[in-house]
Amino acid sequence: MHLNSALIFRNLTEGIILLDETGRITTCNAAASAITGYEETEIEAKPFYTIGDGQDDPIKYRYELDQVQKKKKFVVEGWKLRKDHTRYWAETSYSLLFDDAERFAGYCVLLRDITDQKKKQLDLLESEERYRLMVEAIRDYSIFMLDPEGHVLTWNDGGTFIHGYTENEIVGKHFSVFYPATDQLDEKPKEKLQVARDAGSYREEGWRVKKDGSLFWASVVLTALFNERNVLIGYSKVTRDLTHRLKDEEVLRQSEARYRSLVEQVGDYGIFMLDTKGRIVSWNEGARRIKGYSAEDVIGKYFSIFYPEEDILNGKPAWELKVARSSGKYEEEGWRLRKDGSRFWANIVITSVYDTEGRLSGFSKVTRDLTERKMSEQALQESSDKYRQLAEELSVTNSELSSVNRELEQFTAIVSHDLKEPVRTVRSFLHLMDQQLDQQKFDLLKPSIGKGILAAQRMHELIDNLLHYSQLSKIGLQRQKLKVDEVIGEAIQNLNDAVEQSGAEIRVESEVQFIYGDRIQLVQLFQNLLANALKFTNGLTPEVKVKSWMENGSVRFVVEDNGIGISPENLEKIFEIFRRLHFVSQYPGNGVGLAVCKKVVERHRGRIWAESAQNRGACFHIMLPKI
Amino acid sequence: MRTFRLAIVENDEDERYFMSEAFRSSREFEILGEFANGDQLTEWLHGSPGELPELVLSDLNMPGKNGYDIIDELKVTYPDIAVFATSTSSVVATRERCMRAGAKDFIAKPDIFIAYDSFVAELYLLACRYLG
Repeated sequence: MHLNSALIFRNLTEGIILLDETGRITTCNAAASAITGYEETEIEAKPFYTIGDGQDDPIKYRYELDQVQKKKKFVVEGWKLRKDHTRYWAETSYSLLFDDAERFAGYCVLLRDITDQKKKQLDLLESEERYRLMVEAIRDYSIFMLDPEGHVLTWNDGGTFIHGYTENEIVGKHFSVFYPATDQLDEKPKEKLQVARDAGSYREEGWRVKKDGSLFWASVVLTALFNERNVLIGYSKVTRDLTHRLKDEEVLRQSEARYRSLVEQVGDYGIFMLDTKGRIVSWNEGARRIKGYSAEDVIGKYFSIFYPEEDILNGKPAWELKVARSSGKYEEEGWRLRKDGSRFWANIVITSVYDTEGRLSGFSKVTRDLTERKMSEQALQESSDKYRQLAEELSVTNSELSSVNRELEQFTAIVSHDLKEPVRTVRSFLHLMDQQLDQQKFDLLKPSIGKGILAAQRMHELIDNLLHYSQLSKIGLQRQKLKVDEVIGEAIQNLNDAVEQSGAEIRVESEVQFIYGDRIQLVQLFQNLLANALKFTNGLTPEVKVKSWMENGSVRFVVEDNGIGISPENLEKIFEIFRRLHFVSQYPGNGVGLAVCKKVVERHRGRIWAESAQNRGACFHIMLPKI
Repeated sequence: MRTFRLAIVENDEDERYFMSEAFRSSREFEILGEFANGDQLTEWLHGSPGELPELVLSDLNMPGKNGYDIIDELKVTYPDIAVFATSTSSVVATRERCMRAGAKDFIAKPDIFIAYDSFVAELYLLACRYLG
């Protein structure tokens, strides 16, 4: 196939439109039709601007053609409309056409649809613009560009805000103006650019100077910028004013230092920190004093070294941390070990420590040595126990003394009254006899002498009884294991005469075999009770029952008779010494028998009381402790 | 001359004899009854005698109801009757116990019971003071 210019024209993939000298379209190729959407026949002989931007702007078109005439070639970019009225970004290249005779013959227009390229370019522009605006608007950071030598190329609001310079004051100046004079002398700015260039970036915190000469603590990042050919095109510099943070940190650091020195110097409390695993991370003076370990001894060790072996075997340290972890706190008192192995009584509080995000960062542990306090508490307790015991003993002694005193008082009253009475009677009759002698009434003497003798006899008996009674409290109690049957048998034996005279029937039904006590006194007790049972009858043959059984760990005796009984108001009085309910002429006696019974029972730490129903006899009850 | 209606409670027969003899010879007292203990006295009182005594002179230590029982009982049953206690004891505690229980007064018995004259005179003075 012979390739001529017409074929080339038709097959070219670039859109080509040919115009005549006046600018009218003479022809176009297929590629041009594809771009514009117009067939060749539709646009033939029409001015080129009809396939322009839809504005039919012959003036602008004329201008463009003139430019071609002047420059031989002219390229414009702009929106054009397709036949279907959609837009495309067109690159239009005009060039001149000459015929064989070198005469101007028209224009050749190269038309390219560069909408996609243009869009990318626009997007890039847009994003760069956004980025620029963003950088410029940032106030907390000074962000600017330096050229390779270090001159400021761009500026943002943050720069103005932090450094104090406006954009037109600083652009073009060398960035060393931000450094203090000493740094400038040391050529630090230059060094830093070098570092950034070599390493890609350079970061530091340090003092910088504001426009007004004041210093601020800056965090600086200097980044070297290279183009695609790896040629240094400059630097970006981001600066942040950290003066406030520094102040805060300084305050915090000072407060922490104060707190740490406070904690470290506390001597009475062991205060230390544990990590989450229970390893010791800090140590104070108090801990050293209480536990005897130095910081070097314990830092990094598990806190279980303070626990006695059985606690460790029981997993107590770990359990305490578990409690502290779950409930925030664990508190207890217990024995702990010092370095030398000695024990001390500790009050401990383990508290969970959390970081600002609420994560467990460890535990604080406060330990107090309460050994001395415990010891003094115990000593106090012991001494108070001792004193209480003493007080109790004293109180017992006191009540014993009071009862002895009461007995003494009673004794005095008895001596002064009951013993005085017969003496007085004897004296009275002696005086009477004296009178009778004076009056020579000899016949009256005999009865007076008889009454005097009776009174003396009564006095003798009273003294005997009184001595007997008082002996009961004096003589030490002989505690022996006694057969109940033998004791009661002996009492009955002693009353043999009375039993025979009265024809009494005495039945003994003892369930208890043994009692512990003083044989003589217990025989006396039963003898007196039985004697009364035989004596206070109203003519009937006495029937007496003696019973015993165990009751609540005590031995209970009952002596029951069928005699005259005792009226309710006298049930307690009968145990008073020298108390008699009846005249001697009716029921002889001296009012000592039941008083003796009561005393014997009380000396055996027991209880005695009487019960009596109308005309049903009397019933004496005795409770004695088994031992 | 004011005379007082009197009941005597004394268990010792001889004592009681000399005591009542002294009261009679003084002519200042009219003896309504003589008793050996409190049981006999109250039995007599409950038997509605024609006249009630204005005062009761009672020994303290007696079989059955003693002097203290009489003071306690009459305080409730015959509050108008003044009870005077007597005893050979001159222990202060005894006197105080009687007064606390409600006795009008306490007079110690004479050393020997054939010398009741001054005792009678003392009781007369006390009776006049308390009963008018």
